[in-house]
Order: sequence, then structure tokens, then C-alpha cells
Amino acid sequence: MRAILPALVSVLVVTTGCGAAAGDGPERASVVFADNCGKCHGVDGHGKKEIAAPGIAGLPDWYVEAQLVKFRDGIRGAHGSDIEGLRMRPMSRTVSRSEFPALAQYVASLPPAPEESERMGKADAGKSYYAACAACHGPEGKGNKAMNAPPIGMLQSWYVETQLKKFRGGVRGAHPDDKTGQQMAPMAKTIPSDEAVTDLSAYVSSL
Amino acid sequence: MIDWLIPQTSSFASEIDNVFMLITVVVGFWYFCTVGMFLWMLVKFRARDGVRASYVTGKEKDLKRWITIPHALIILCDVVLVVGAVRVWYIVKQDIPEYQHEIGVMSQQWAWTFTHEGPDGKLNTADDIILVDELHIQVDETYLWHLESRDVLHSFSIPTMRFKQDAIPGRVINGWFKPIKTGEYDIQCAEMCGIGHGPMGARLYIHTPEEYARWQKAAAARVAGR
Repeated sequence: MRAILPALVSVLVVTTGCGAAAGDGPERASVVFADNCGKCHGVDGHGKKEIAAPGIAGLPDWYVEAQLVKFRDGIRGAHGSDIEGLRMRPMSRTVSRSEFPALAQYVASLPPAPEESERMGKADAGKSYYAACAACHGPEGKGNKAMNAPPIGMLQSWYVETQLKKFRGGVRGAHPDDKTGQQMAPMAKTIPSDEAVTDLSAYVSSL
Repeated sequence: MIDWLIPQTSSFASEIDNVFMLITVVVGFWYFCTVGMFLWMLVKFRARDGVRASYVTGKEKDLKRWITIPHALIILCDVVLVVGAVRVWYIVKQDIPEYQHEIGVMSQQWAWTFTHEGPDGKLNTADDIILVDELHIQVDETYLWHLESRDVLHSFSIPTMRFKQDAIPGRVINGWFKPIKTGEYDIQCAEMCGIGHGPMGARLYIHTPEEYARWQKAAAARVAGR
């Protein structure tokens, strides 16, 4: 027993030390981000198109936290056809709810991804459809917190296109508790065609 | 005995448990025989003053029987286990009984999407009830399920039903179960499928017919309202 006690104490010291090394606040949030979010969104938060994980770096903390809560509570990513959302839903549950604010602030502090080198649509053609978006997201796509409208100019065109199609198809923004999503869904349905969605997405990401 | 630890909620759960117990008892018997023999030999042939160790080839008849007799007995036990396992395989996997309902099960990274029959009692119609991570079924009714995967290998596992089936992209795999006990139980993915494999869980609700009718009515109203 005398020989085992020091070993037990050592294990306790080492494991407790590991927990303390992560620290609190931003330091802890960076570890949580790298362990849980960085695997798909990249440790820089710039996203990985090949696995449909969008760039999230630089998004405002209030928006990131709100989306995390929606995923966690089954309000977003709850539709059987929301393939990417269904991936995010369980991942949001791997982080404690109490850590969402610090995590969201860490995401907001990351430098946004550089502008895309290639876009599918024609940004010039998409500009004409942007007027309806500007009412909430602003003429430069910088968002408006008072209207729960996040900045969209920093988003990648492929992601904007995917989300617009989800809003139009009732895959996103259809849950009864998704108040902000329900605001966006009818707006997305005003876009006349899928081609217009692609062009508009190219324009949005060029802002 | 296993039922004492995890309840049995499917009609074939006891068959699986019986095979498991059979394997445990047979393998356990031979395990303790082997370990017991080693320990006995360690004591009987321990080092003694004035006794030289002898080289044993194992070719002598009286020594060889220590191998051949257990060997024959273990092969006989293997046959018993194989017969028992094949019998259960036939019951669970091959002998699909008459079924009353169908369920669609779609697996993907990292969620389960279950398609339930709507009030018309038919699958793949407009009134289907599609739910993520929630499966609702009736006790004492037989279900035929159709399992698919959208992306990678998954495994549809319901521990209380003693049920597990891999989902393979590009294939629709059919099977059945008959729940025998009401309650709320775990569904899990039992095949490593990526970083979100751990939290890829869902809930199984086994209802009485009355509860199920109430649930179906409410769920169908939600579907119709969308």
C-alpha cells in the first residue's frame, strides 16, 4: 500500500495538472475549439469545402452562440435532408452549454478566411437580387445585430448557396422554434430560380 | 441473467442472450480447466532439491492424450456453439416473419433519420412521419426495417433489443424486429464513422397501441401543418 500511494498521488497530480493547463477563458476556448470544431472547420476556422464545413472565423459571437444553441436544442440541423446540419447537431452537444459564450468569442476573434479565388455564379448578375437582402444584412453585407441578421459578406459562396437552397426547400428555418430562421426562409423564397441563387451567392461573398 | 443487467426488448433478445451464455459457459469451462491444469502442474512439478528436469517431447502416448482428448472435446464443443449460433442467425436474420409495419432508417454522419408510416399505414407516402434521432414503434407488432447509409459505414444498434446491423452506402438492407416491452431506450452507432461517432445516438420509444395512436395523431398533424 505504501508503494501504491505515491503512484496514486502522482496520477492525481498529473491528471489535475492536465485539466488546469487548459486554463479558463480564451485559453480554454482555444483548446475546446481545436479539439471539437477545428477538426472540420480547421484550426484557423477558415473551413473545409471538401467536407462542407464553412469558414466561421470572424463571425460575431452573438450569432455563433445562437447557432450553437439551435444545433444543440434540435432547432437547426433537425431536418432529415439537412445533411451538413445533421453533422453539426451532435458536435454541438460535445461542448458544454456553459462554454458556448467563450467559444463564440474565440471564433469571433479569429481572422476571417481570405476571399475565395473562384466562385460558381456570376456576381454581377447576382447583384440585382441583393436589394431584398440589404434590408437586413446591410448594403455591404456586414449584418445588423438589432435585426438578428449576421454578416454574410465574409461567407464563402458555396456555403451561402447551400444555405439559401435549404431555406427555400424548407430544410432550414422551418422549425417552429427557429424564429430568426423563419424570418429568413420567406426571403430566400423570393429569389426567382436556382441559377439566381448561385449568382446571388457569388455576389454576397464578393462584398 | 443478462436480462438482469440490460432488459430484453425484442422477441429474439433472449435467443441472443442464450447463445451468449452458452459461449460464456463453454469457453469459461475450458478456460478454468486450462488455468487449473497449469497451476496444478506448477505445483506438482515445482523445483525440488536433487530432482533434475527432464526434456519432454510430447510424443509418448500417455503424454499425448493430454492434447488429443481435450482437442476432441473442444471440437465437439465448437460444433455445439456453431449449431447454436447458426440457429439464432436463422431466427434473427433469415426467417423474416409476417410483419405489420415498415420503417425507413437512414444513417449519416452523425444522425439517424427514421421514416415512420403515417395514418395511411404505408411507407413512402406523403403522410410519412420523418424524425431525426427518434424512433417510435408499438409493442408486440412486427416491423420490417429498411436500412441505408448516406455516406460511410455505420451500424444500427439497439442494445436492449440485442440488435445490430451494419449500414453500407449504396445498399438497402432489410430486417425485422418485434418489440416486447414498452419504454424508452438507447439507439447507437456501433461502427466508427468519424469524429462525431460518439454522440451519434438516438432514442427508441416503444409505445402501447393507445400511446402510439396518440403520438401518431400528433406527429401526423405536425407533418400536415408544415
